[in-house]
Amino acid sequence: MAAWPKEPRLIGTKVPRLDGLAKASGKAKYPSDVRPEGTLFGVVLYSPHANATVKSIDTAAAEKMPGVKGIVVIAGQGKKLRFQGDDIAIVAAETEEQARDAVRAIKVDYEVLPHCVTESQSMDEKAPQVFDGGNVRKARAIVKGKPEEALEKADVVVEGTYSLPVITHVCLEPHGLTAQAEGSSKITAWASTQAVTVVAGELAGSFNISPADVTVLTEVMGGGFGSKFGADIWGRTAAELSKKCGGRPVKVFLDRAQEHLAAGNRPSATGHVKLGASKDGKLVAMIAETYGTGGVRGGSNFPLPYVYDLKNSSRAHAEVSVNAGGARAMRAPGHPQGCAIMEAALDDLAAKLGMDPVEIRVKNLAEVDNVRGGRQGETINRTPMYEAQLKLGAELIGWRDKYKPRGENGKGVVKRGLGVALHQWGGGGAADKQVSCTINPDGSVEIKSATQDIGTGARTILAMITAEVLGLKPTDIKSNIGNSTFPPGQSSGGSTTTPSMSPPCLAAATQARAAFFNKIAPALSTDAETLSLKDGQVWVNGEPTMSWKDACRKLGMASISETGKFADGLSSVGVGGCQFAEVEVDTETGVVRVKKIVAIQDSGLIIDKLTWESQVYGGVIGGLNYGLFEERVMDPTTGVMLNPDMELYKLAGASDIPEIIVRAYETEEMKNRGVIGVGEPPTIATAAAIANAVANAIGVRVPDWPMSPRNVLNALASKEGKA
Amino acid sequence: MKAFDYAAPTSVADALKLMEPPHTAALSGGTDLINRMKDYVSSPERVVYLKDIDALESIESSSKGVSIGAGATLAALLEHGEIKKTYPSLWKAAYEVATPQIRNMATVGGNLLQRPRCWYYRAGNGLLALKDGKSLVREGDNRFHAIFMTDGDALFVNPSSLAVPLIALGAKATILGPKGERTVPVAELYRVPKGSQERELTVQHGEILTKVVVPATHAKNASYEARHKQAHDWPLALASVALEMDGQKVGSARVVLGAVAPVPLRSEAAEKAIEGKALNHESATAAGDAAVKDAKPLSMNAYKVQLTKVAVKRALLAAVGDRYWEEG
Amino acid sequence: MAAHDLKDDAVRGHSRRDFLRGSSVAAATAVLTGQATTAIEEAKAAESEPKVLSGELKITLQVNGESRSCTVEPRSTLLDTLRHRLDVTGPKRVCDRASCGACTTIVDGVPVYSCTTLAVACQGKKIETLESFDTGPAGVPHAFHQHDGLMCGYCTPGFVTACKALLDKNPNPTLDEVRRGLDGNICRCGTYIGVLEAALAAAKAMKGA
Repeated sequence: MAAWPKEPRLIGTKVPRLDGLAKASGKAKYPSDVRPEGTLFGVVLYSPHANATVKSIDTAAAEKMPGVKGIVVIAGQGKKLRFQGDDIAIVAAETEEQARDAVRAIKVDYEVLPHCVTESQSMDEKAPQVFDGGNVRKARAIVKGKPEEALEKADVVVEGTYSLPVITHVCLEPHGLTAQAEGSSKITAWASTQAVTVVAGELAGSFNISPADVTVLTEVMGGGFGSKFGADIWGRTAAELSKKCGGRPVKVFLDRAQEHLAAGNRPSATGHVKLGASKDGKLVAMIAETYGTGGVRGGSNFPLPYVYDLKNSSRAHAEVSVNAGGARAMRAPGHPQGCAIMEAALDDLAAKLGMDPVEIRVKNLAEVDNVRGGRQGETINRTPMYEAQLKLGAELIGWRDKYKPRGENGKGVVKRGLGVALHQWGGGGAADKQVSCTINPDGSVEIKSATQDIGTGARTILAMITAEVLGLKPTDIKSNIGNSTFPPGQSSGGSTTTPSMSPPCLAAATQARAAFFNKIAPALSTDAETLSLKDGQVWVNGEPTMSWKDACRKLGMASISETGKFADGLSSVGVGGCQFAEVEVDTETGVVRVKKIVAIQDSGLIIDKLTWESQVYGGVIGGLNYGLFEERVMDPTTGVMLNPDMELYKLAGASDIPEIIVRAYETEEMKNRGVIGVGEPPTIATAAAIANAVANAIGVRVPDWPMSPRNVLNALASKEGKA
Repeated sequence: MKAFDYAAPTSVADALKLMEPPHTAALSGGTDLINRMKDYVSSPERVVYLKDIDALESIESSSKGVSIGAGATLAALLEHGEIKKTYPSLWKAAYEVATPQIRNMATVGGNLLQRPRCWYYRAGNGLLALKDGKSLVREGDNRFHAIFMTDGDALFVNPSSLAVPLIALGAKATILGPKGERTVPVAELYRVPKGSQERELTVQHGEILTKVVVPATHAKNASYEARHKQAHDWPLALASVALEMDGQKVGSARVVLGAVAPVPLRSEAAEKAIEGKALNHESATAAGDAAVKDAKPLSMNAYKVQLTKVAVKRALLAAVGDRYWEEG
Repeated sequence: MAAHDLKDDAVRGHSRRDFLRGSSVAAATAVLTGQATTAIEEAKAAESEPKVLSGELKITLQVNGESRSCTVEPRSTLLDTLRHRLDVTGPKRVCDRASCGACTTIVDGVPVYSCTTLAVACQGKKIETLESFDTGPAGVPHAFHQHDGLMCGYCTPGFVTACKALLDKNPNPTLDEVRRGLDGNICRCGTYIGVLEAALAAAKAMKGA
């Protein structure tokens, strides 16, 4: 049965990523950097209106503009445009400047219709309909136990409304691809994607050809966070334009504004929550009515109750449609919202009870919270894991010495506060993915799979596993991914890449090693069973005997190539973690500065500790942005986004980054579970922990994220108003 | 960005000649104009690049004060020892502007003459953002907009951080045009536009801002900026003060507010409140309160009233070395 | 790109032809249309009659120590010229509005946003992109690699360039000086911790070299 090595040489160490130097020296070629001979530049014309119908569209003048080689209309006469940023047409021209000029020469006559771009606009009874059938789709409440009854009997009840805004992915490399069509039968595309195979399938579908005739290349790519799984209309149109332009490559990448408008977002969340507990802090019931908007696409639901054990709960969610770009999965979809609302309510309850926030959390973990263990059928109780994580985190943030009850944080204008939040995530691996491993007579080793590295370190991880098995250095392995024609690989979403790809990689390397031993054993006058690999040497009966390279020469002309498949017992699903935040709030200006964050995360067996830590740092910083800065601002009157940029759409810079302490919760029990992904879980709890720390510091809940001076000062003002 | 003609003169005289045709824009650092051109908010037919004119770049100090060429970058201003020593209000305001790259590119003239960052203006709704006679700002998201002079249609805020201390310090701007040179107080570079056809800047077509001269001073001066992010961000409120001390008391004061009105705003109420008083928390707080007496916030920006109060208080106390908020 | 045709906020009323005819404008005679072979050097040589450039222009830029010629328009940014015309793709286009720093390029020794710099204005200047940096152990790229100061890596060229420029100017930065020096760059993956470590390590390594 397949198993991870008991005493690994590489696995669990810190290995710098294989493509790191290429990226850091500007030599790595991203899809948006690729410009094959003869490339035309495509520019998208998109809707300036939140809601409109195309009455007519005339491209005649644009076609005659200098340099223009082709125009494809996406939204022709009669087509509805449901949000600002909805695609209308794409122009391909010799230069980008010419393509932009031509886009402006396309004459579109719009019937501009009334819109609603905010939840409150949309929920108004007289609101124009985003879709037929109403703007608000209220799901029936999911009820567990007898929440109303239990709440009445609760010793303490808090009631609050908490809200989080829509935020956007802001992938630094825009969505898009460069497509080159060979007639109608073949397409090559350099795509910025999280899923080369999905893009290949989509392009094949639009050309009505086999995915095997499409080659999607993603050597490296500049961020996706859940928004880059498909070719999208832009990519399909680029391929169409290439065909139309005699096979000249056509490059279409969105501009920054359209990135915000049309390329996905994390839905908003508002929750009206009643939470009750007994005097000892044990939760008895929760009643939550929530809503959110995923624009024209929906998907705003989120888990609530979250993490904690509630015997009685009622949760009703309403999906609100607005005339804004559709939501897409974004780094742990739904969880950051559910976590923020749950943890805020729980903290408010703790404050009302005068209870320590860590204590109330421990008290309300389920007695048994099973997740999968190492193998099918095995389970692990997550509750003691959470307890251990909370203990470690509390130590690292200095909880015992620094924690003061809410509002008791000194007399100065700048108050310090501490906050904590827990999170959980699934992850897990797909069982149908493959990796091939080839050992060549010149000693080179290549692994191949149609997965991709979106910045997580997937390329390096696969090389480490292979090198571990073959006794080589990770840099000896050519880790060849980002090509849709390779053996089927996992899409990079849901923290599933590493757990899906590591098992077949281990299998491929292990099979290749076995085949290699069989091949070279005769040349070494021994049996395959006596052979092992270490430090770039072939060992016979525990003695280094021949260099790897020399041994590979014994293969003669034939390479060894093995394809590995998924096996149970090497990866698992279901993680938890906790985060602590320490903040300083200037109560005169409402400015919040995060001083320190502690993130404790379990994720099974960690392959590359360096890239693992980076993922956790990155998750925390993503959560810090959500907690402090980010917000899509829509204008109710004109229906447009007011901050489709990277300036008034605020994101942390270096001076906004606190001290961050990351710890893996990596016991032997955890390691035995095998590989679990970590891209998403560490971004979930940060915004919640920060908001709780702010409330702790200033003595009042700031119910609206982000923790901006405006929201903090408004909360402080309402507190004074009440006093 | 629309196509344009381009010229890069190396002398001011040539620049003036090149600036003559209508629809000509002067380009220096580019961090504002090029963005506006990309968004088709401004589409000049000719762009005259002023950064090849060495004569505009110099910063010279003398017994009369310091003369800062309009083409001097913010980075050059920050490296000038005399400015840091004598005009900490100006130095600090420049220090907090934007990013290292922008400070390397952007010029003092460009900072003073940049156009408002109002997101309605930048989205192509015109400077006053009026639609069907209604103000998009008043009806819409005005969290970053004016809290003073809000009875009118100009609800954007003046974006120049340098104008605020320069006005407090009594600086004058020199403008060269086809009709010769004129010198005006920095405050007079700005006006509240009366209608959609009027700009908020008083520099006329064909004119070039060549320098600002900050008079020599013994005034204690300081700036305080309240902002959301620590890294690259815009002030939510900014105050600069220059105080001529009379012993332990404030003799005469200049208090100027930024980011809260369509022009950099002198607060005579705050000045009166502090003049003749010893500078302490109580008097500084009173001056801050006085500064916002006439504030009329819009639907979403009442918080800026508080920020303005605090900015005035903190600028005043900073001028005498009290930075209490940094002590926690 | 947005479909709406935003109005120029300058007061309209004159057409381009008006000013070309205008007798007061000596410069108008020098307006070049179409394919202009005259470069800025020439314009500078004839200082008494400043040239006005228009349409397509052949320019030569000094990029990473090499003379590179290409055809641009006055409106072509340095960034787009590097990326689309010269295949110097280290600097990235991300915000395209002087906010995010991914396009950071060193011009005459000073880091600037190339997305907001016109290519024509860069003739005769020394343009350095990170492709020219030392990739050995004493260089900034190496430190970013070793300290994992990158994830997806799309912001990385800008950070590496800003970091190099910072260390050239201030070889002994404190952590706060590093932060401030890199405040003109934004990372979305959240790799700042590695970036800060890398910058401090690079400072050490550069001194040791």
